[in-house]
Amino acid sequence: MVDVYETIIIGAGIAGLTAAMYASRKRMKYEIISTDFGGQFLVSGEVLNYPGIVKTTGVAFSTIMQKQMDFNGVKIKLETVKGVKKKGTGFVVTTNKRVYETKTVIMTTGSKPRKLNVPGEDTFAKKGVTYCAICDGPLFNGMEVAIMGGGDSALEAVDFMKNIASKIYLLVRGDKLIAHEYLQESVKSNDKVEVLFNAETTEILGGKLVSGIKFKQQGEEKKLAVRGVIIEIGRIPNTNSFSKLVKLDEHKHIIIDGQGVTSVPGLFAAGDCASGHEYQYAIAAGQGCMALLKAARYLVGTK
Amino acid sequence: MAEIKVYSTPTCPWCVKLKDWLKEKGVEFKDIDVSVDHEAAKEMVEKSGQMGVPQIEIDGKIIVGFDKEKIEEALGK
Repeated sequence: MVDVYETIIIGAGIAGLTAAMYASRKRMKYEIISTDFGGQFLVSGEVLNYPGIVKTTGVAFSTIMQKQMDFNGVKIKLETVKGVKKKGTGFVVTTNKRVYETKTVIMTTGSKPRKLNVPGEDTFAKKGVTYCAICDGPLFNGMEVAIMGGGDSALEAVDFMKNIASKIYLLVRGDKLIAHEYLQESVKSNDKVEVLFNAETTEILGGKLVSGIKFKQQGEEKKLAVRGVIIEIGRIPNTNSFSKLVKLDEHKHIIIDGQGVTSVPGLFAAGDCASGHEYQYAIAAGQGCMALLKAARYLVGTK
Repeated sequence: MAEIKVYSTPTCPWCVKLKDWLKEKGVEFKDIDVSVDHEAAKEMVEKSGQMGVPQIEIDGKIIVGFDKEKIEEALGK
């Protein structure tokens, strides 16, 4: 007889880990499957807005989360999900190692950095181009850097780099910043930072390593000599392989209602991959909890 | 024992994960913080041609990123 799970959680960021913690405490028959432990919180510099925690770092937060999972007996299956299919009223989840049958699925697959899609971007990845300021930023010590984006992540990158880089150009595609006010204040009050509005990056230049960028501003093509390029222009949900399974919105987020319910009965979603469009730890935790509890209720109905 | 160096920064999450993983395996290594040791940072970029961390050097051979399979192979384990 095939082992049928009550739920399979896909992804181990805050949303998935919260769901798994509840599943474990409810003694459900479940697995949490992820390529690796940790989601977006792994690449956060500082965490300043999570309830109950005054101030911490992404790394410290990750360590606490790991301890909390150990305490609750949550063990992550380190496997890569290849596909999810409907089977009867349940689902089949296929990974690189095995096949799971389950009555419900909770999608907490998160998101990945959006690319500029300009020449030179792939060639110079890790050669001056990075999507993680706190990881590779310190290597640009004393150098001039360009940061692309106008939202929270871009301005957090500016804030992180202000004591490292010698000069920071912030290239914003639109005509205003859309980040939290306290971040905007920090950027505006720093004379190392030059904000360029209506600036569209068109190419990343270099030899062995990055040496500069080309961009367009009001129809005019311009160049900047920089050795670091930090791209923070938003995120794309990791939902590519699910487009035939479940309804996605125009930005490819899994559409959920206020209870984590998707267009497919038994399939729930939470966190950055879902249609909330507000990428916050507290929201991911709340939604992960909600999705698991609603899945548990759904199971009672189908039992 | 192979001579092992890890080039890292304190804020980089993958660096922390790599170092924890090595410690768990009982592998001894020299930790080089390239956010303060700028000479070492230069040396790392020159050797690997890559401006990213973590990088691990095992007997002169550099592996970029936390690539468990490649690292295990280089460690001969």
